[in-house]
Amino acid sequence: MNGASTSETGVVTGSPVKKESRRPKYTKFTQQELPACKPLLTPGWVISIFLIVGIIFIPIGVVSLLASNKVVQIVHRYDQTCLPANATTTKDAQLSYIQNPGTDKKCPVTLTVPKQMKSPVYVYYELDHFYQNHRRYVKSVSSAQLQGNNVSSLSDCKPEDYVNGLPITPCGLIAWSLFNDSFSFSTVSNVSVPVNKNGIAWKSDVQKKFGSNVFPKNFPNNNLTDPSGIGGANLSSSLPLDQDEDLIVWMRTAALPNFRKLWGKIEQDFQPGDTINVVILNQYNTYSFEGKKKLVLSTTSWLGGKNIFMGVAYLTIGVLCIVLALVFLLIHLRHPRPLGDPSYLSWNRKNSHGTDNLRS
Amino acid sequence: MGSFESRSRWETRSEQTNNSNNPQEDVRVIHCNDPQANAASKFKGNSISTTKYNILTFFPKGLFEQFRRVANLYFLMIAILSTTPVSPVQPVTNVGPLVLVLAVSLIKEAFEDRKRFLNDRVINASLIDVFQDRSWIKTPWSQLAVGDIVKVNQDQYFPADILFLASTNADGISYIETSNLDGETNLKIRKALERTWDYFDEENVSKFKGIIECEHPNNSLYTFVGNLVFEKQTIPITPNQILLRGCSLRNTDSIVGAVVFTGHETKVMMNAMDVPSKRSTLERKLDKLILLLFCILFSICLVGAIGSGAFISIQYWYLGLTLPSIEEQYDPRNRFLVAILAFFTLVTLYANIIPISLYVSIEMIKFIQSNQFINNDLHMFHKDSGTPALARTSNLNEELGQIEYIFSDKTGTLTRNLMEFFKCSIAGVMYGTGITEIQRAAAHRTGLRLEETPQAEDAIKEKGFNFVDKRLMSGRWRHEPNPEVCKEFFRCLAVCHTVLTEGEETPDKIVYQAASPDEAALVTAAKNFGFFFYARSPTAVRVREAHVEKLGQVVDVEYEILNVLEFNSTRKRQSVICRYPDGRLVLYCKGADTVIYERMADAELNLYKEVTRDHLEKFGVDGLRTLCLAYRELDAQLYEAWNEKFIQAKSALRDREKKLDEVGELIEKELILLGCTAIEDKIQEGVPTCIETLSRAGIKIWVLTGDKMETAINIGYACSLLSNDMKQFILNSDVKTIRDVEDRGDPLETSRVLEDWVAKHLQDFVNKAEQGASEMDLALIIDGRCLMYALDPKKLRKTFLKLSMMCKAVVCCRVSPLQKAQVTTLIKDDAKKITLSIGDGANDVSMIQAAHIGVGISGQEGMQAVMASDFAIAQFRFLTDLLLVHGRWSYIRITKVVAYFFYKNLAFTLTQFWFTLYTGFSGQRFYDDWFQSLYNVLFTALPVIVVGIFDKDVSASRSKACPQLYKAGIDNLYFKWRVIVVWLIAATFQSLIFFFLPITCAQFPQNSPGRMLGVWDVSTMAYTCILITVNLRLMMASSSLTKWHHISVGGSIAAWFVFIFIYSGVQISFIQDNIYLVIYTLMSTWYFWFTIILVPLVALSGDLLFMAVQGWFFPYDYQIIQEEDKYHHVEDKDDNEQQTEMMAIFHSPTPEDRRMNAMSQLPGERSKHTGFSFDSPGFESFFALQEGVGTPAKPWDIARRASMRFPQRGKGSSSSPKTSLFQRNY
Repeated sequence: MNGASTSETGVVTGSPVKKESRRPKYTKFTQQELPACKPLLTPGWVISIFLIVGIIFIPIGVVSLLASNKVVQIVHRYDQTCLPANATTTKDAQLSYIQNPGTDKKCPVTLTVPKQMKSPVYVYYELDHFYQNHRRYVKSVSSAQLQGNNVSSLSDCKPEDYVNGLPITPCGLIAWSLFNDSFSFSTVSNVSVPVNKNGIAWKSDVQKKFGSNVFPKNFPNNNLTDPSGIGGANLSSSLPLDQDEDLIVWMRTAALPNFRKLWGKIEQDFQPGDTINVVILNQYNTYSFEGKKKLVLSTTSWLGGKNIFMGVAYLTIGVLCIVLALVFLLIHLRHPRPLGDPSYLSWNRKNSHGTDNLRS
Repeated sequence: MGSFESRSRWETRSEQTNNSNNPQEDVRVIHCNDPQANAASKFKGNSISTTKYNILTFFPKGLFEQFRRVANLYFLMIAILSTTPVSPVQPVTNVGPLVLVLAVSLIKEAFEDRKRFLNDRVINASLIDVFQDRSWIKTPWSQLAVGDIVKVNQDQYFPADILFLASTNADGISYIETSNLDGETNLKIRKALERTWDYFDEENVSKFKGIIECEHPNNSLYTFVGNLVFEKQTIPITPNQILLRGCSLRNTDSIVGAVVFTGHETKVMMNAMDVPSKRSTLERKLDKLILLLFCILFSICLVGAIGSGAFISIQYWYLGLTLPSIEEQYDPRNRFLVAILAFFTLVTLYANIIPISLYVSIEMIKFIQSNQFINNDLHMFHKDSGTPALARTSNLNEELGQIEYIFSDKTGTLTRNLMEFFKCSIAGVMYGTGITEIQRAAAHRTGLRLEETPQAEDAIKEKGFNFVDKRLMSGRWRHEPNPEVCKEFFRCLAVCHTVLTEGEETPDKIVYQAASPDEAALVTAAKNFGFFFYARSPTAVRVREAHVEKLGQVVDVEYEILNVLEFNSTRKRQSVICRYPDGRLVLYCKGADTVIYERMADAELNLYKEVTRDHLEKFGVDGLRTLCLAYRELDAQLYEAWNEKFIQAKSALRDREKKLDEVGELIEKELILLGCTAIEDKIQEGVPTCIETLSRAGIKIWVLTGDKMETAINIGYACSLLSNDMKQFILNSDVKTIRDVEDRGDPLETSRVLEDWVAKHLQDFVNKAEQGASEMDLALIIDGRCLMYALDPKKLRKTFLKLSMMCKAVVCCRVSPLQKAQVTTLIKDDAKKITLSIGDGANDVSMIQAAHIGVGISGQEGMQAVMASDFAIAQFRFLTDLLLVHGRWSYIRITKVVAYFFYKNLAFTLTQFWFTLYTGFSGQRFYDDWFQSLYNVLFTALPVIVVGIFDKDVSASRSKACPQLYKAGIDNLYFKWRVIVVWLIAATFQSLIFFFLPITCAQFPQNSPGRMLGVWDVSTMAYTCILITVNLRLMMASSSLTKWHHISVGGSIAAWFVFIFIYSGVQISFIQDNIYLVIYTLMSTWYFWFTIILVPLVALSGDLLFMAVQGWFFPYDYQIIQEEDKYHHVEDKDDNEQQTEMMAIFHSPTPEDRRMNAMSQLPGERSKHTGFSFDSPGFESFFALQEGVGTPAKPWDIARRASMRFPQRGKGSSSSPKTSLFQRNY
C-alpha cells in the first residue's frame, strides 16, 4: 500500500460513523493455542530410540545374511580368457579379433560347482563399463512402438530410427546394441544341459510393455559386417517381441555401468564337485571400451541372489545403535543431566560462573 | 513587513506572467461556481485510485513484477532451457512448478489490489454538499470538480483542497484538525478572507463568481501562493485560507469553500510516497545462502561438464557416436562443446537445488503469521480504543524476533499525552494520594507491596485532573494549617496562565484551550479547588471563587492582568502581574524549581523552602512533572517604575526578546514560595513493565523526542528507562557557556565552540565509561544540537557510536524528525544492529521509515505514522507481545523453514549428482520428470508450511516470562552459518545414503526368481526413501506437533503412494514410459521393504545423534525451558504472576550493592532528579523540513489566537509574523 491510500484510509476509519467492534474473534488457531504434543529428545528417549533401532536391525541383518549365505554362486570372467593367444595383447588385436566375422568365437570353459546348487540355477551375464544409463542411450527407445501402437515419430530413437527411410522395429540404440553372447551348458558326460529362457523377464514387462503382434522389421541384423565393426544381436523377424525375453531383459536398462542380467534358468541340481562345461559364443564387443564380461551361475534364496551388503548394513547400523545406546546410558548414569534445571540457562550461567561456556 | 513584501512580489510576478500572453503556463485559473468556464482547463477529477493494476495491465505488469525477482528470472531461464534439446528433462519438470509459483503470487497480488480498489471506491463514494442550482446537493466525492463550491460540516473531512470562503463562525474562523497530515492533534485555525465572509447562505453563494489564480499542484503542505480575483479586486490568498484534503473540520458547524485542487492533485496525495519496501535481514542472508547454493550448483555442474567432455568417446560404440547425424552434445570430436552443453544440461537437471517454492512458501507462511496471528492476537487488542494490532507488511515478521535497538518517540507513544494534576505541595504539606505507574514499576522491581488508597466515591474525575485527597477538596482546605497559602496557591493556578476558554461558562461545560496540556491541567485543578477561571478578556481574568469566606458562597472576581511575562525555554517560568479589584498588586509566578529558588526572598519569608525541595525531589523520583508556584506583593510605585521599562522593552525594535527577559528579571525576584504542583504525564499503561521486560530480553531502548531535556529525562525515569543508580552522561547545549558565545552573534564561532564542546565531553564520557566497570549501567542524555555535531560522519560519529553502544539507555531530546532518522541510521548502518522505531506522529515518519522495522501507534487520531509503519499497535506495551511472542516465533519458524528447504533440496539434488557420476556424466536424470517437478510443490510442500505456521517452542506466556529467550534471535543463534553448515552436512550425508544404499542393494538379483531391477526401479525406490526421510526429518525438527503436523506429513507420504500407484498403474505413453508398473514390480520384492526401513533410519540416525548430543550437552535455552515445562510442571499462569515468579527464580539477586559501590567510585555528581516540564513540544513538521521551509514553530500560538478573538488588540501587529512564516518560499 502506498502513501496515497494512507491518509485516505485514515479518512474512512476516522469517520464519526462507528464501526462494529474490531475485536478479533477467539479461535484456537488465531491465538496459536492449538493443542500440541511437545516431543523432547530427553536422555531417556535417546537411549531407548537407539536401543530399539538396534534391537530391530540386528535380527533383520542376521536373517538377510543367513539368506545370502545359502546362495551358491559361480562367477567366471571370460572376456580375456576367451581370446585367442594372439589377440590378447593390444586393444587393436582384440578388436580385430572380435570384429572379424570370420574368426572362431566359440570358447569352451569348465566350471566347478563348490557346493550343492539346487534347481533352479540362474544364468547371468555381467557387463562392466557399459553405460546403459547414459542419457543418449536411455532415451533411445520408443515404448509405444514396442507395445505395437502406431507411432508417428521415432525421433527419440535417433540415430537408429530409420534404415533407408524405413522405420526400424524395435528402434533405438538399446535394441540395436542387444547382447549377443550365448552360452551352452553340458555336463562332464557331454549331456547337454537345457537352459530355460522363459520367465527371465519381469511379467509386467512381458505382458504390458512388449506387444505380441510386434515383429522386428528393418532391424540392422548386420552388426558384425557393419563397416563400423561393432556388436549387437540379430533379431528374427518372425519372433514377436514379447517372446524375445533376452531383448526384454536387456531393455530394462540397468542403473549402474556395472550390471548383471538374467540370461536363463537351468532347472537341474548340481552337486558339489560337479563340473559344468560351458561353450561361450564370445561375440559381443566389450573390448573397445575395456569392459569385463562375466558368466554367473547362481541359486537364489527367498531374498534373491547373493547379497551380503544389505545384511551387513543392517547389522552394522544395529550394532552401532546398541553401542551408542550403551554409551549414552553410561554417560547418563555417571553424569546425569537434570532436566529443566534453570542453572543451565545461558543467562544464569553467565551470572553464576561469570563464564560463558558451552555455546555462544 | 514580510507579508507586504511577499504580496507585492507575487503581484509583480503575476503581472509578468500575464504579460507573457500565456497565463495557463504558470498560473492555474479557476472560475468558482462556473463549471462551463472551467471546462476548458481540463482539471483532473476528484476520484482517486491507488490500485497498481487494472484488468488490462494486470497480466503484463504483474508478470513483469514477478520476473524482477532474481529467483523467478532464474527459474524462467531454466524453464526455457528445459525446452531445448540440451535438457535432460521434459519441460514440465521446470515449467510446471514455475507456473504454479507465479500463479500463487499473481493471485495474491490480485487479492491485494482488489482490497485497494474497494477502499478507493468507499472513499470516492463518500458524500459532500456541493452547491448546484441554488441549493446544496449531496454528491459523491468523485464527482467533485475544481471550482465547485462545497459545504463541509463539523467533523467531516475535506474532500479536496479547498479555498476557505465563509464559516458559521461570524469572524470567518474555522478550526481544523491536521492529524492525518502531521499527526498533531491540537486544532489549527484557518481564517477566511474578510471579503468572502458573507458568502455562506444559498442566496449569497449563487452570486459568488470569483476567479482563483494560483500555483500549480505541488506537494508542499505549508505553502500556497495565489490570488482571488473578486469584484475587480485582487486579494492574495495565503495558506491560512486553504483547507487541505485529509484534514477535518472541528468546533465549527460548517464552512463553505471553493475547490482548488482535486484528487491526485491535492497536496496530501502529492505527498503520497511509496512506502519503501523493506526486506528483512534474514531474507538478505537468504540471498547469501542462495548464492552459496549457486556456487554448489556451479561447481557440481562444472565437475559434470568436465567429466562429460572427458568421458565422451567413440569407444562406447553402443552409444552410436560414430553413426551419422550425431548431435553436437555428444560429438566426441569437439569435447569442449560437449562440456559446455553438458554444463547447461546439468544446470537444468540440478535446477531444483534452488528451492523454487521457497519464496512462495515463506510468503504464504508470513502472510498467515501476520494476517491470522498478529492481526488477531487478543493480547494485542486494545479494548479502550477497540484497536487490534495490524501488520501492514508481512515481509518483516521474523525481523521482529531479532530487534536489538528500539527507538521510541515519547509523546503519544510512551505517554498518553494526557497531563493530569496529580499531586501538590502547599506550604510544606504534601497532598495527593495517588500512585504513579513509575511507583508501581519500582515496587514491582523491589517486590514491595504498595498500599493503594481506594478512590473516594466523590473523587472528581475529569480530563487533566486526577487528584485524590479529601483534605483539599470541597473547600476543606480552609481547615488546613495554612489556608491563606492555599488560597494564594489556588489563585496562582487560576490567574497565572495563558489559557483561553471556550463553550459555556459553567464548570461542567467549559473547555480550556491551552498551549500545552500541562497548563490546561493546572487551570482545571484550580477549578476543582473552587477557583473557577471562566472568562478572559485581553485585560482581565475572571475567576469564580467559591468558599472564599464561607461555604456555598460564590464570588465572581475580576483580576486585571497588567503584564504577562511569557514562558520561554531560557526563562523557564511564567509570570503574571495582576491587580485585584481592591487594588492589590500581585505578581504570580510559576516555573521550574531551579529558577524559582534562585529568585526567592529571604529565608525568613520562605518557611517551606526545604520541605518543598524534598517534596519536589520525591515527585521527581515518582516521575511527575513539577512546577513551583510563588508570588510577590508589589507596591504601586515599584510597579509603575518597572512597567515603564517593560513598555520600553516591549516596543524595542532590536533584541526585543532579550530585553523583555532582562526586564522580567527585575521584577521576578524576592518571590515567596507557595508550593509546587506535580503533574503526571500519564505514561501509557504497562510501559515501565514493558521496557523492563524488553531490556531483560537484551533490547536497548532509546527515547528520541522533540521535548525538552527535563521532560525527556522525566519520562525516562517514569518508564524505568533511567534510574537514580545509573551513571548519567548529560550533553546539553543549552548552557551558559554556549549561550554566551551565541550572544556574540557569530554563527561560525558558535558552531566551532559547540563542536569543540561536544567533542570534549564525548571523549570525557567515553573515558569515564571505560573506567567505570561494566557492572555499572550507563545512560546518555543528549540534545538535538549536540547530536548534530556528534553525528558528523567525519569527526565525532565514531566516538559517539562507541559511547552510545556502552550505554544501557540513551535519551535524545529536542531532536528534529530528521535527526531521529539519522540516529536510527547510525545504529542501523554504522553499528549494523537491527533496529525498530516506534512512534505515533508525523514527526516520527522519517525514523519509522529509516529503521529496519517501523511501528506506529494506532487507534489515535494521527495516521501518518501508522501509514508509514510496518506494524501498527495500539499501545506501547504490546511491543512485548509483538517482539517476544510473535517476533520470536516467526524468527524461529522462518529459520527452520529456510534451513529445511535448503536441506531437502540439496539432499534431493545431490542424489542426482551422485548418479551423474555413474552415467558417464551424460546428465541422465535419475528420477522421472513428474517426480522431480512434484517434489517441491506437492510431496514436501505442505508440512514445511505447517511448521512455519504452528511451530512453537515454548508457550506465549513463557516467552514473555523469560524474555532472555529473545536473545537467541538477537544473536541470530538459529541461522548462523554454523547451523546452516550442519544442515548442509546432513543433507550431503543423507544424499549419499539415498543414492548408494538402494542402488548397491539393487545390484543383485531380487527375489527368488532371480530377476534384476532396472534404473527406474532403483530411482523410484530412492525417491520413496527421500520423501519418507525428509518428511520425518521435519517432524524431528518441530518443537511441537499439532494434528496438522501429523496430517500434513502423513498426507504427503500417503499422497506419494497414491500418486505412484496411479501414475505407474496407467500408461500414458508420452509422459511416462519408464515408470509404467515400476512400483508394482518393486513392491513384490523384499528389497523394497527392507530398503524402505533401512534407508530412512540410517539417514536420520546422523541427525538424531547430532540432536541428541546437542540437546544433552549443549542445550539451547528454549530446550531447558521446554524440559522445565514438561517435567517440573511450571504451569502457564497469569502473565504478571508468572513474571514475578520467574524473576524470583531466575534473577539471581542482582548485585545491587556492587553496583552502588562501583557507582560511588565513579567521578561526577549523583543525579538528583526532579521533574519539570512546561511548554508544548514544538515539532518542526517533517514535511516542511523536507521542503526546507520554515514552519510555524508553534502552530498554536496563544497570543495570536487571543488577538483574533479580541480584534481590538491590534490585528496588524499580530498578523505580520504569521504571514512571514510562509514568505520564505517565494
